[in-house]
Amino acid sequence: MNSATSTATEHLQTLWRAQPPPATKWLLAMQREAIDRFVHVGFPTTRQESWKYTDVSKLALLLPDWLTNQVAYSPALARNPLDIQDAIHLVFVDGIFQPTLSSGDLPGGMLVGNLDQLAQSHGEVIESRLGQLSGTMDTAFAALNTAFATDCTVLILPAGTELTRPVYIEHFSGSESNSSHPRVLVELGSQSKATLIEHYSGGTATLVNSVAELRIGSGARLNYYRLQELHPEAWHTGLQYLCLHDNASVHSMTIDIGAATSRSELYARLEGSGATLEAQGLLLGNGTQHIDSRITVEHAAPHTESHTQYRAILGDKSRGVFNGRILVQQPAQKTNAALANRNLLLNRGAEINTKPELEIYADDVKCAHGSTTGQLDENALFYLLSRGIDQQAARNMLITAFASELLTNIDVPAVAERTREALASFRLNGA
Amino acid sequence: MLIDIKNLHVTVDGTEIIKGLNLSIKEGEVHAIMGPNGSGKSTLAQTLAGRADYEVTGGSITYLGQDLLAMGPDERARAGLFLSFQYPVEIPGVSNVYLLKAALNARRRAAGEAEVDAVAFMRIVKEKAALLELDQQFLSRGVNEGFSGGEKKRNEIFQMAVLEPRFAVLDETDSGLDIDALKVVAKGVNAQRDGNRSFLMITHYQRLLDYVQPDYVHVLAGGRIIKSGDKSLAVELEASGYDGLLAAANG
Repeated sequence: MNSATSTATEHLQTLWRAQPPPATKWLLAMQREAIDRFVHVGFPTTRQESWKYTDVSKLALLLPDWLTNQVAYSPALARNPLDIQDAIHLVFVDGIFQPTLSSGDLPGGMLVGNLDQLAQSHGEVIESRLGQLSGTMDTAFAALNTAFATDCTVLILPAGTELTRPVYIEHFSGSESNSSHPRVLVELGSQSKATLIEHYSGGTATLVNSVAELRIGSGARLNYYRLQELHPEAWHTGLQYLCLHDNASVHSMTIDIGAATSRSELYARLEGSGATLEAQGLLLGNGTQHIDSRITVEHAAPHTESHTQYRAILGDKSRGVFNGRILVQQPAQKTNAALANRNLLLNRGAEINTKPELEIYADDVKCAHGSTTGQLDENALFYLLSRGIDQQAARNMLITAFASELLTNIDVPAVAERTREALASFRLNGA
Repeated sequence: MLIDIKNLHVTVDGTEIIKGLNLSIKEGEVHAIMGPNGSGKSTLAQTLAGRADYEVTGGSITYLGQDLLAMGPDERARAGLFLSFQYPVEIPGVSNVYLLKAALNARRRAAGEAEVDAVAFMRIVKEKAALLELDQQFLSRGVNEGFSGGEKKRNEIFQMAVLEPRFAVLDETDSGLDIDALKVVAKGVNAQRDGNRSFLMITHYQRLLDYVQPDYVHVLAGGRIIKSGDKSLAVELEASGYDGLLAAANG
């Protein structure tokens, strides 16, 4: 840590002390512990292996100012929500819940709003769960989220409940030079089922630093989609922690299209026997964007299965970072895990740093991993041109085709549609 | 004149393959080009379609009064040129029907016509698929994805039938086809012969020419047309091979 960022770290602690403390004692204690942990670990530096390619030193200098700017929602900035049929649509602007912009009745077990107020009205429900999963990740940004999150979405779905309406959380950044710390806490009871969409949009020079904790009970099923399409000047850091119990199953799809610098991290722990995870990711970079996406799949119980597939499409001088790690603990015999990463570089200025890793402590497992990086297929391009399709349209067709295998797995059409639009309108600015 | 090729020279990877080729095709004519391996047949086809890595070092190609060599491959296609590939490319993730609709609309826009509506498009597609005896199911599959060699060739002619080009270059469309598939492909080609549309068929074998009768047959060897005639030339070649012709040409 250099002196400038360490000054920024101390500054953030001062800011935390200056903000009105929550009335809930345990929440105050949790926040204090988080800010102390943040000061202890400090901003990550590129000397740390897991942050080697992603430099947040500029953000560290901007953040103290941004944290004090809690600008109110400016209606001048237009939202562009996804059109999701029959959704429970929750709108947060700059981290603050907006009941008047939201729609759909909340089901039983769902709480949305100011965290301190929720902690007072539903203390025991939240206290026993908040931070239980994310707290195990000793990361600076997760700690910052815990220290500064004001509002929260809580979904504790009772056992056997099938939530047919998708939960759509729209995190909209409405103003400039500020930060928001979206927080989501989900616990699916055994044999329950839900679909959750987190959508990050808007913003200019802002930080959106999110944390989601998702515990999936025995035999429960979660479809989890994350679409990040923030403004090209924005910063995004996100941590999603998934914990799967016996025979739980999750389909997770994370799509990073926006932000100047985006760093998202999914940690999935397959804690119960028979748990299965299908995790997919799509990174789309252009201009000078920097998109860092990482996933760790921890197999902690026998007969667990995971299929991870991440793809990056990078143009201009954008840079992608992918780190995929499969960790098979000693008790996780009969694990079946596969990790595949494919990258498409659209010109010479674009770059990908990819690292698939296997770490296996059990002896009876089936694991596979691989990574390939290539360019657009010139033969395919010529074939499309020879049919009268122009260069730009032909390129966009091939770019979309590269991502299509992932998109066909999305069962919320609006998410796939928005992503297809981004792929179809992708334009290189020239290297 | 539909297309007029004059003294064409083409270099591929630093090697000159076509060395002064002349060929003129009028509207409505069907020409066949035969020749031994390595004579430059496929190079000619790819050059006509506008492949960038085939460098034209000399000569000219005039297509409908325009300088074809100044046009990009997509412009050529929109101006009515179609290449049936010798080795059609597989493009997973782009469906046959999506490609065809984009291609058809690109041509229509270039001609100042309205885009085809979904109903009319499906009617055209179903009609042409039936002609080429292609299962409807394949329409939604990726372009040529997992197709057999014969299916790929039928798909090329199917695309041609939908796009209705003014000038079609068929690069060894017959090779790798069994006799039944050949008959289907020939039926597809013959259905497109209307007295205005022109064809250049590149083939190794006379067999195709039994089903699609050409007006002219040319023999390409060493990058030049060494002999031209009517369809009896193909019969002659089938009987005596290229050797005699080549010896005469070289002598």
